[in-house]
Amino acid sequence: MGVDFNIVLEGLMTALQPINLFWVALGGFLGTVVGMLPGLGPATAIALLIPITFGMDPVSALVLMAAIYYGAMYGGSRSSILLNTPGDGSAIAATFDGYPMAQKGQAGQALAISAIASLIGGLVAIVGFILLAKPLASFALRFGPAEYFLLMIFTLSAIVALSKGAMIKGFISMTIGLLLTTMGIDLQSGVHRFTLGLPELSEGIDFLIVIIGIYAVGEVMFNYIGIDKIKTKSKEVGKIWITKEQWKRSKWPMIRSAPLGFLIGVLPGAGGAIASMLSYTTEKQLSKHPEEFGKGAVEGLAAPESANNAASVGAFIPLLTMGIPGSGTTAVILGAVVMLGIRPGPLLFENDPLLVWTFINSMFIGNIFLVIMNILMVGILVKVLDIPAKVLFPLILVLAFIGTYTLSYSTIDFTFLLIFGLLGLAMKLLDFPIAPLILAVIVGSDMEQNFRKSMVGSEGAFSVIFMSPITITLTLLTLLSLFYPLIVSWFKKRKIQKSL
Amino acid sequence: MFRLFLPIIFFLVGATFLISSLNLPKARLGDPYGPMYYPTLVSGLLILLSVIYIIQEWRKRHDGFPELELLLKGRTPFLLISTIVLSLIYAFLFEKIGFLFSTIIFLGGLLFIINGRKKWISNIVIAICFSGLTWYSFAILLKVSLP
Repeated sequence: MGVDFNIVLEGLMTALQPINLFWVALGGFLGTVVGMLPGLGPATAIALLIPITFGMDPVSALVLMAAIYYGAMYGGSRSSILLNTPGDGSAIAATFDGYPMAQKGQAGQALAISAIASLIGGLVAIVGFILLAKPLASFALRFGPAEYFLLMIFTLSAIVALSKGAMIKGFISMTIGLLLTTMGIDLQSGVHRFTLGLPELSEGIDFLIVIIGIYAVGEVMFNYIGIDKIKTKSKEVGKIWITKEQWKRSKWPMIRSAPLGFLIGVLPGAGGAIASMLSYTTEKQLSKHPEEFGKGAVEGLAAPESANNAASVGAFIPLLTMGIPGSGTTAVILGAVVMLGIRPGPLLFENDPLLVWTFINSMFIGNIFLVIMNILMVGILVKVLDIPAKVLFPLILVLAFIGTYTLSYSTIDFTFLLIFGLLGLAMKLLDFPIAPLILAVIVGSDMEQNFRKSMVGSEGAFSVIFMSPITITLTLLTLLSLFYPLIVSWFKKRKIQKSL
Repeated sequence: MFRLFLPIIFFLVGATFLISSLNLPKARLGDPYGPMYYPTLVSGLLILLSVIYIIQEWRKRHDGFPELELLLKGRTPFLLISTIVLSLIYAFLFEKIGFLFSTIIFLGGLLFIINGRKKWISNIVIAICFSGLTWYSFAILLKVSLP
């Protein structure tokens, strides 16, 4: 049950190999740069940069991918603080107090606090990872097809319930994603399904085309609206260090928010956006001067930055131990990981402990590296923000097309890329949550296999639910997440009635 | 009435999937209906959801459609249509004239449309340099075979 320290040490040694240090540095740098660009978040960064990992050995590729991921998270908070444009949900809370700080001429201090908070959040979470991952992997060994099927249903319904906007739209987004994964040759029977007679579709639509289409192409097209008004101008950042007073005010919020963020990150469906929002409101309630929040309070920046980085580490636990991603971004990582030939699941920790521990140690090194890079090179990094949007968007489109081509060496995929780009545009315009679709595209095929396997083992569709205590619990959790909005509004109504 | 456009598309997608699921050939291995169950279930769900969505949008039919107006304002429609056309040309030329030249044309075209004709010098320089750089990093550094 416990952790074998020799293997942890061996993982550390592997992570410290010059080549892996190089990948951490490169991934962290590229991730930061892409994450910093307005409108582009970690999911787009990973999707666009995946072609780099082709042909690499799985350990290095995983190290690189993770570095791109947390690099992009760092970069995202940079554009939140300096431009007030978060790249994804988890960077939104950084705009509340980070941008006002930058406007008050404290941009450098805001960047330093965000970097230090992210480091503390990341480090605390890595300790949590070491403690929690192995027990959870052992627990997951008890999962059969029925348990996995219901766990996926729960994750999908949780992400629909928690994504903003109407639930109907969320479920439509999910079902479209699930249907996409049924295209191609059926793995169990060899029957061609929905291939429209095209040989290119016999292996189905590559999930990366969906992701690059919706996130990168769709995002660029969405940004065409009001493109002539986008102004990018980097500010003078000033000295990157924090004062003693700021450290005193922000150290406890950082430390408190880390475990909170970590635990939320482990939960399916939640992730960085909710972790950072929750820690922000918690700190506001605990603060002696809540009136400063939203006007440039250091705690208001430190807490969510620590929480979202901790959540991003926590999200790797269900991802690696069960193969279940908790958000759109981690779904992209899962897809990429599977493509590298790594099979996440409870057995990963037993079959390939070196891979797991190299990865964990490289996260540790990567977090430290990013802080150093962000503090020393921030002056150069913010120059990226000087690239005008009108030049940047064509470059992103070109990268999206090239990335797509490297997947299958066929230009028919360009048409699919365009179709998913337009779908992404329509979804953004009409406020459809995108995460359910992405998650469904990644887990859909596994979900169907588990569904069919559990059907074989049971009599009739609904008896699956009552197969074990785990399936019953998961069904109840699913129902709870579906009715969660109703429950919340019922409690609110009651509160209002009581106060009358 | 444009409000109903997307919900109806979703409904049609669901219906197409449902009809083709029910008409799938029977599997020769294992359960003959095995490949059908899951897509039938999911497409049925999509049809149900899109009917609810159609009703929701029908009720709002007199509210106007600010999202569509946003899309049709200024030069956004021009940019969108040119991007689609250029992408299709890119797909057509990519394997015919090779990566480097087709990318220069695609990127150059996009830059002329988005960045404007006035900045033609920088557009041409960026198109050539960036295409060359990506060709070098993919074909030489990453050893991806490009046409």
